[in-house]
Amino acid sequence: MSQWLNNVIDDAKGVDDFLAPMRQQSLSKLQTEGWPHARSEEWRFTPISSLKERMSSASQTALSYDVPQIDGLDSIDIVFVDGLLQTDINQLSLPNGLSVCSIHDAINNASNSVREQISALFGHVKPSRHIFGLVNDALCEQGVYIALDDNCHVDTPLRIVNIATKDCDAHTRVLVNIGNHSGLKVIEHGVGSSASFTTAFAEYVIGKEAKLEHYRFAFFTAAAKQVGGSHFSLQESANLNSTFVSYGSDLSRIDVDIIHAGQHAKAKMNAIYLLAEGEIFDMHSTIEHAVPNGTTQENARGIIGDRARAVFSGRIHIHRDAQKTLAELNNRNLLLSRRAIINTKPELEIYADDVQCAHGATVAEIEEQALYYLMSRGIKRSKALVMLNFGFIQELVNAINNEPIKQWLLPMLNERFASMEVK
Amino acid sequence: MLKISNLHASVEDKTILQGLNLEVKPGEVHAIMGPNGAGKSTLGYVLSGRDGYQVEQGEVIFKDKDLFDMDIEERASNGLFLAFQYPVEIPGVSNMEFMKESVNATREQRGDAPLSATEFLKKAKEACKQVELPLDFLKRGVNEGFSGGEKKRNEIMQMILLAPSLCILDESDSGLDIDALQVVANGVNSQRSSERSFIIITHYQRLLDFIKPDFVHILAKGKIVKSGDASLALQVEKEGYAFLGKEFEEVDA
Repeated sequence: MSQWLNNVIDDAKGVDDFLAPMRQQSLSKLQTEGWPHARSEEWRFTPISSLKERMSSASQTALSYDVPQIDGLDSIDIVFVDGLLQTDINQLSLPNGLSVCSIHDAINNASNSVREQISALFGHVKPSRHIFGLVNDALCEQGVYIALDDNCHVDTPLRIVNIATKDCDAHTRVLVNIGNHSGLKVIEHGVGSSASFTTAFAEYVIGKEAKLEHYRFAFFTAAAKQVGGSHFSLQESANLNSTFVSYGSDLSRIDVDIIHAGQHAKAKMNAIYLLAEGEIFDMHSTIEHAVPNGTTQENARGIIGDRARAVFSGRIHIHRDAQKTLAELNNRNLLLSRRAIINTKPELEIYADDVQCAHGATVAEIEEQALYYLMSRGIKRSKALVMLNFGFIQELVNAINNEPIKQWLLPMLNERFASMEVK
Repeated sequence: MLKISNLHASVEDKTILQGLNLEVKPGEVHAIMGPNGAGKSTLGYVLSGRDGYQVEQGEVIFKDKDLFDMDIEERASNGLFLAFQYPVEIPGVSNMEFMKESVNATREQRGDAPLSATEFLKKAKEACKQVELPLDFLKRGVNEGFSGGEKKRNEIMQMILLAPSLCILDESDSGLDIDALQVVANGVNSQRSSERSFIIITHYQRLLDFIKPDFVHILAKGKIVKSGDASLALQVEKEGYAFLGKEFEEVDA
């Protein structure tokens, strides 16, 4: 058993609020399952032992922090620092049809009418797949519930910022309910380099013919540990367009679930990871096609430098009734050094017979040959190196149809590249 | 255009070229034939500047300049082009982006303004059609998943776009069926001019049926042992390399 987990369980026993029924389930699961087995499939390639004996300390009020900015982007920001909500939700000026409620407020204010709506979403999209998701279920008292009425299109993105500044544990939850025929843009933006441990999970229900443009930036580096997830349930003819961009740190893990709950939904997901030094990044994605006529396109690309390690697990599960499903998943990796590691695992589970499904994973190394080839066509060595590295990623950045976000990401990723040596 | 004098070159301490002499004037087409291991491909790599190919002796003058004073990319932007025997696959870099970069690098060297995306696209589409590749090949990763013949045609497309002064074709015919061979040959022939020179490295006479050389040289043991006109290639086709002496017969086995 882990000391950290023992402390978590003790703390969780003291949490008693309107979410108790859900929390209780996760807590008992934590108690029965305990600390993951060394060979557990969820953590086979991702070392979590550094957390095992971690001295947990609860969220504390931060003294000072900088909110990361995306130049040129006009967004509605909701900021958490070390797990505590900083934004005065009541002071936000929100477009018609959009409402935001602090989960902490809902817990402390018994008359809060959104309790039912929160309960209806909390833990209903996110699978109880692993220990840290369960910990978040049991402990998180901070977060927001966001609801968009039917027939509303909000153009200004909502940005949920998670900043880790201290050596403490922080658990936050984002719940988003998008009404039918509506459209919303949400950015989950995490940063930090302190020896913190953040769990941040988000659950989305996208209504009938509704549209979500989603981004998750996990720029946790160095000693910052983070485990989180974005989980989506798509109702009939819903549309999801999601982009993940991540660096690595001592431990960085993101789980993604895309659940086709209604027919004719379309999901597009792109993921980029750029890992330097000894960083670790792990992405587990699961696409559930439970009903017929769904479409999913997933592209994950990573560049792994130095002694870094990336883990990618991509699962497509097509249920027996999910005929006429179109699902594509592709994972491509580029290793910049001999010591860089990628563990990639494509997984297809198909129980329907009339589907189109493609799945692939590749791993490449920077080759002297490719460099010579480009240079033999007159391209300068430095330019050729950037092309070989960046071309790979640029394609996915270019696919982003939000200009300020694209223009913000490109130079930032380029700079990170420049610092990653080809060995 | 190109003057190679007494060229000695080695790879991994093994001397391959041993005193090679060759002069190529503007507009000329030279074919270099020879048994396996004679140093044919090495010549192409040494001229283009590939790492690991060590020049030990001799000099190469390209357009009145010492070729060995130039970096790989400088040689290319000055008009030297090597069509690879085994073109490299580069996933993640589109054929289009690759060729646009290279064409503009060459233009920069000549003091010309870079082509705009639209201008380039127009040229690229024409070249693509000329080598009978579907237009979506421009969008695909460089040589990624291309068949052997498609890779060779892609090389010729690059040659057409870059409009080099000296084209070295390293076994551009290997692994091609007769239709693809014709496409490659047509591409080359369309580029022949009084200012542009070609060195065609080939193991077989076959390609020379389609691209008529002005000169044929036999390369053996690292030097040119016999030169002649197109009829020399026919002689090789008929008799093999036996006329060079018994030792060469075995090399070709």
